[in-house]
Amino acid sequence: MGRKGRDWGPSVRYRKYAVLVSVLLISLLFLSLGTRGGGTGKPGELLAFFITPLQAALSKIQSSAFGAWSAYLDWKNARRENQALREELERLRIQSLQVEDTQRENLRLRRLLALRDRLPLSTLAGEVIAKEWGGWVRSVTVNRGRSDGIGRLTPAIVPEGLLGRVVEVRARAAVIQLLNDPSSAVAVMVQRTRTAGVAEGEPGGAVRLKFMARDGGGAQVGDLIVTSGLGGVFPKGLPVGRVIAVEDKGSALFHYARLHPVADFARVEEVLLLTGQTGADLLPHFSLELLEPGA
Amino acid sequence: MRVSLALMLLGGGLAQTSVAPALRIGAVAPDIPLILTVLLGLKRGPEVGCLSGFAVGLLQDVAAGGFVGAQALTKALVGFVAGLIGERLLVGNPLVQVPGLVLLTLAEGLGRYWLLQLLHFPAAFGEVMLHVVLPQALYNGFLGAAGVLALSVLEAHRSGSLWR
Repeated sequence: MGRKGRDWGPSVRYRKYAVLVSVLLISLLFLSLGTRGGGTGKPGELLAFFITPLQAALSKIQSSAFGAWSAYLDWKNARRENQALREELERLRIQSLQVEDTQRENLRLRRLLALRDRLPLSTLAGEVIAKEWGGWVRSVTVNRGRSDGIGRLTPAIVPEGLLGRVVEVRARAAVIQLLNDPSSAVAVMVQRTRTAGVAEGEPGGAVRLKFMARDGGGAQVGDLIVTSGLGGVFPKGLPVGRVIAVEDKGSALFHYARLHPVADFARVEEVLLLTGQTGADLLPHFSLELLEPGA
Repeated sequence: MRVSLALMLLGGGLAQTSVAPALRIGAVAPDIPLILTVLLGLKRGPEVGCLSGFAVGLLQDVAAGGFVGAQALTKALVGFVAGLIGERLLVGNPLVQVPGLVLLTLAEGLGRYWLLQLLHFPAAFGEVMLHVVLPQALYNGFLGAAGVLALSVLEAHRSGSLWR
């Protein structure tokens, strides 16, 4: 403290005791006055007159400061809670998407498995690992290849019907030419009238029914087109698509029609590769519900 | 200097009825004017300690609506004793100041209880000590330590020696 050793004079030395005694006497006087009057007494009232406004002001400042602090804490808590809820929401959203995805995959695989069980020929399921969707080539690559016994021209189907055929076989993969590939041509017939024709892909991505003989029933909008089995590549009765427009060119030898393919080429993820042979009509093995437009 | 001292005492005295309740832990609130009195007494000597204690005690008496003069008397005594200790011992170290604050709070509690007994204060000694004086003494020690630390940091910052 540094006061030790200072030369305190006698007056200074005794002054502190004088101060103490004075203060104690004043205090006792206050106490005495207060107890006699039964309350804080006149000195108290006088002091209270001065300090009450100060107390009120201080209390106001304090309550404002604590109010601001409390508001800040509330805001901070709300922000933290908001952040936690956002994260929770994000997590649940991802979880929900994963569940939806799994459910869709489950449904697709169930359909594929059901079809596989119904078909009277050997098949091999494959997973799409790549897609080529340019105007020149439309194909998908599956994870089945030479090592799985897959050969060129093996038909590939989905639960709704025909997808295409294998055009290139690698050791562990196969490239499937889709029905709407510009160089794809499949021998088909109108299921209702049995009128034969050829389904060809177009550069725009559509599938067209060509070379349909004018005599016979021809085709109407909504008719189901299935493989005819001619040519020996595709078994008979694989659904190909539905007629959405008939183009009658009058004097031309053949009818033409535009088809809506039963397979959704853009969203295909699993396929069945038909490794066996059969002469039977396969149409009864497909679920008619799936062949309905928009199914 | 005197003006700032007066403002400090006024603020400290009034803080007891406005700020201290907000700082309470359970039922225990610190005695801010007492902390101020002890620290001033230790630093400035018995005169300042005594007068400071009297002033803040009087403010507390009036503000709290008790016996006017009771706290003025006990706090004046505590301030005086703190000043005497400051003159005779080296109390610059917070490790001395803080336990000193706790002990002087206990002493003030004892003194106040004795004084109020003369005025027929009804509460039992054991209960007052256990539930009021002792917890408040510990809280004062804790708050005093924080105050001393804050002051030393402030002083070091002022002298520019904090980071040297």
